[in-house]
Amino acid sequence: MYSRDEIKALTDKILNMTSSAAVVKVDGAEVSFDGGERAGTRWANSTITTNLVQYDQQISITVRIGAKSGNSTTREFDDESLKAAVDEAIDAATKARDSPNLPPLVKSPQTYIPVDAALPATVEFGPGDRANWVKQSIDICEKKGVLGAGYIPKAYQTTCLANSEGLFAYYQYAETGFILTCRMPSGSGSGWSGLTGAKELSQIDVAQLTEVAANKAVKSQKPRAIEPGRYTTILEPRPAARFLSTMMGAFNAGGGGGGFGGGGGGFNFGGIGRPFFNADGTSKIGQKLFSESFTLKSDVGNPILRQTPINNDGSAARPVTWVEKGVLKNVFYDAATARREKKEPSPATPNMSLVVEGGTQSLEDMITSTRRGLLVTFFWYLRPVDTVTLLNTGMTRDGLFLIENGEIAGPVQNFRWNMSPLVGFANISAIGKSVPIHTGEAYDGPGTALVPPVRIEDFYMTSVSPAV
Amino acid sequence: MNPSRRDFLKYTGASALLIASSDVVGELIAQSTAKDPLQSPFKGLSDVALGEAKKMGCSYADIRFTRSVNSGVTANGGNDRNAPGGEGGFGGRGGFGGRGGGRGGGRGGRANRGAAGFGVRVVHIGVWGFASSPIVTEDEIRRITRIAADIAKASAVAKKVDVRLAPVPAYTQYWSTPLLKDPSAVPQDQKQAFAQKVVDTVLQNKQVSSVNASVNLTNEWKYFASTEGSYIEQETWETSPSFNVSARTGDIVKSRNYVGVPRTGGWEVAEEAAMIESAARIAEEAVEMTTAKPIGMGLKDLVLMPSHAMLTIHEIVAHATELDRVLGYEANYAGTSFVKLSDVGKLKYGSKLMNITADRTRAGGLATIGFDDDGVKTTEFPIVRDGILVGLQTNRETAPLIGDKASKGCTSASSWRDYPFLRMPNVHLEPGPKGSPTHDEIVADTKDGVLIDGRGSYSIDQQRYNGQFGGNAFWEIKNGKRTRMVSDVTYNAITTDFWANLDAIGGQESWKMFGTGGDAKGQPTQTNSISHGSPTIRIKKIMVGAAYA
Repeated sequence: MYSRDEIKALTDKILNMTSSAAVVKVDGAEVSFDGGERAGTRWANSTITTNLVQYDQQISITVRIGAKSGNSTTREFDDESLKAAVDEAIDAATKARDSPNLPPLVKSPQTYIPVDAALPATVEFGPGDRANWVKQSIDICEKKGVLGAGYIPKAYQTTCLANSEGLFAYYQYAETGFILTCRMPSGSGSGWSGLTGAKELSQIDVAQLTEVAANKAVKSQKPRAIEPGRYTTILEPRPAARFLSTMMGAFNAGGGGGGFGGGGGGFNFGGIGRPFFNADGTSKIGQKLFSESFTLKSDVGNPILRQTPINNDGSAARPVTWVEKGVLKNVFYDAATARREKKEPSPATPNMSLVVEGGTQSLEDMITSTRRGLLVTFFWYLRPVDTVTLLNTGMTRDGLFLIENGEIAGPVQNFRWNMSPLVGFANISAIGKSVPIHTGEAYDGPGTALVPPVRIEDFYMTSVSPAV
Repeated sequence: MNPSRRDFLKYTGASALLIASSDVVGELIAQSTAKDPLQSPFKGLSDVALGEAKKMGCSYADIRFTRSVNSGVTANGGNDRNAPGGEGGFGGRGGFGGRGGGRGGGRGGRANRGAAGFGVRVVHIGVWGFASSPIVTEDEIRRITRIAADIAKASAVAKKVDVRLAPVPAYTQYWSTPLLKDPSAVPQDQKQAFAQKVVDTVLQNKQVSSVNASVNLTNEWKYFASTEGSYIEQETWETSPSFNVSARTGDIVKSRNYVGVPRTGGWEVAEEAAMIESAARIAEEAVEMTTAKPIGMGLKDLVLMPSHAMLTIHEIVAHATELDRVLGYEANYAGTSFVKLSDVGKLKYGSKLMNITADRTRAGGLATIGFDDDGVKTTEFPIVRDGILVGLQTNRETAPLIGDKASKGCTSASSWRDYPFLRMPNVHLEPGPKGSPTHDEIVADTKDGVLIDGRGSYSIDQQRYNGQFGGNAFWEIKNGKRTRMVSDVTYNAITTDFWANLDAIGGQESWKMFGTGGDAKGQPTQTNSISHGSPTIRIKKIMVGAAYA
């Protein structure tokens, strides 16, 4: 579906229409294509509830006439509709005001890092295959005496950007995931496990993930309440990814602090936080802001993530190290900010192929080396409280355990926490192996990063949150 | 569109075999002027899907065509309006852009082109199947229907129980939002001047650093048909006026939001929002916020204005009483509920002053519509009476699971692309009886409290039992007087304790509906719009400021 040749022919046809427009001379044109399939299977109470597929396709056309720019979109790809959309874009450009800072169109050739992201088995992974995964999982749940509720998202998407400078940037991917919550039928316990953004089906071990979630549900029963306070806290990869997301926006030299993606941020009600910048506007590059073990990069071309190697403007993305051994190495400059501040634009955005460099320790090793602390399975409902300090709040969910003398001592009642990632990632005392997991609140769309479990000292649990 | 094509569409109707998608849906709607669903070209297209589903052996099928058009005006000003900002935002190329499914014109596109398509939902072998597409042709409708049926069939391997749907009468009806001023009939210049006047008024205050005013307009059309015999055509208009003012004192920047009651309705909603009349006051408050001092931590009486009370009603009443959450359907994402089925008729949700009503019928409500996306006629029903939980939100799928004979009409889908499922209706806290205190009387009766206006940060657990809420603007109340603005106010609420502490409720004069448009639920995630009405209320002795301790 939407092969390179098919999309090339389509974008060429549109670009030809723009260049041969009779009414006015078009100085430049850009055509983007997005299309494909988004599918998902959902189950709850150990029975399938939803299984769906959504198809969509869209062409967006932008034409430039001098310093003016106009845009149109269409989901109709017959010649007449394409021509109508081209005319609409030209009409919009003709009527537009001048855009004095219109960036130049990206020129061809661009050398993209090769990424093979649409593997045939994942492309073909269909509703029957997903239902079989559900069946496999709920059979295990039944044996364990728990109820399974989960989601298998699947995306098979093609994106392309072509322009009148000869650019043709094409990326196609197919990915899936497996996200599971197991609950005791009485509601007395809950456990979670999951993995997202898998380009290879073999990355997902349904039985193993189900075992983890089911065991956590069983073991999380009869939690005892312990006092709120500052705890040594091991965040498993999912809560670590969510916590990380609350500060990714802060890397943006052109914008305020906060997070990105699926409920991670976007609010601005405490002022504008710029923790990676000094009061005079200069960045803190070169300063050690985080723990020695914290290295964060956009590893474009990463062989596990296999995410897009193409920037939004069509230029070739390149790897960027944002934080290396705790030292801020780069902040993100988009094209407009780079022009304004006379910097080079960043070769990737902070959420492209995001990787927190992991260590060699297993989660079990990290527990063993913890004298007293908490093991967190899942973070829920993260929201910014103060965007100046990146203070965020959220709660634990689906399995919170007390660690004593290197062992799981038992379940404890959930906590609400209030904590800044700037403090948290500066207080890392152990780090495990990275796994692909989504950074957003929901699991749809891009947003998977490679994130390890991290142990954070003095994580501030502010009140007991007794919900199970 | 050229005349030949227009004529073609006019005369082909249900037998249109060629391309007929998003904009063409608009053309077909324009031709369907009779406001009679049986005269619509979509009747024939619907029958294609329903016939195909029957042929495939489905026990139930529906098809829903939807077209959404977003438009509006914005104006901004102030020295900080362009900084900081950047362009575009994050996100490499790859994937559907955003949640919910393509309202508006898409990536940078103009908003006047509708996002349109259709979804087919079936029950086959006791399991749901759903598929959707933006290509509205007979062939595509057949293909998508077959896919939906095949998906259901493939899913049967993992079912434990068969889907049963509450019965529903067959309806053939047209319904639309009552409009006083059709937004499309108001000249664009006039709309723009309205937003600009708000900005100009705010900027008379020289301490303001930026201001943004907008009126967003959404027009959604849908055509629903099902194997129950229903053919329903509906059109809604939603108007959302608001403005935001930022002020700076040194390095401190604060923003004051004025949410001008988004409602279903026409341009009159913008005009009735008192934006211009409130502009100077909001500017002054934005400036005062920059020097407001933290309130500190402690027990306070909260006086909540309707613009804020709607937040707690939404999060810890409306969500907690969605039957699908109670039953565990959302356990993997949005969460379950602390409410149990056995609580209905027994649970003391709050004080005797607490009366909660759900509806999709009240004029102006964002979830107000004639029929839900199951084809059920919408209604009004009680959730809490005199503090006791008396009802839950249901739809055709969930009502039979608690022995109800009929759905309460709570099914909705975000767009043509999305799967319809249980979404909350408008949920309101009813005003107190005649003789209840006014807003000012509640303030005057409060010794040590905080007055809260608008929404801020909020975070609620997965069972809607523990919430932490913030607002937009806060004032200290001392000995019955509103004294000064304060900052760093969040409060913590355990749901039933919070509502048990409701000790003062305003009358009809302070009752006002506010709305929200980004309520996320489901997988893939969908958002919906709903309204929550409330009078000014007081909640006694709530812990404030713990987040900042």
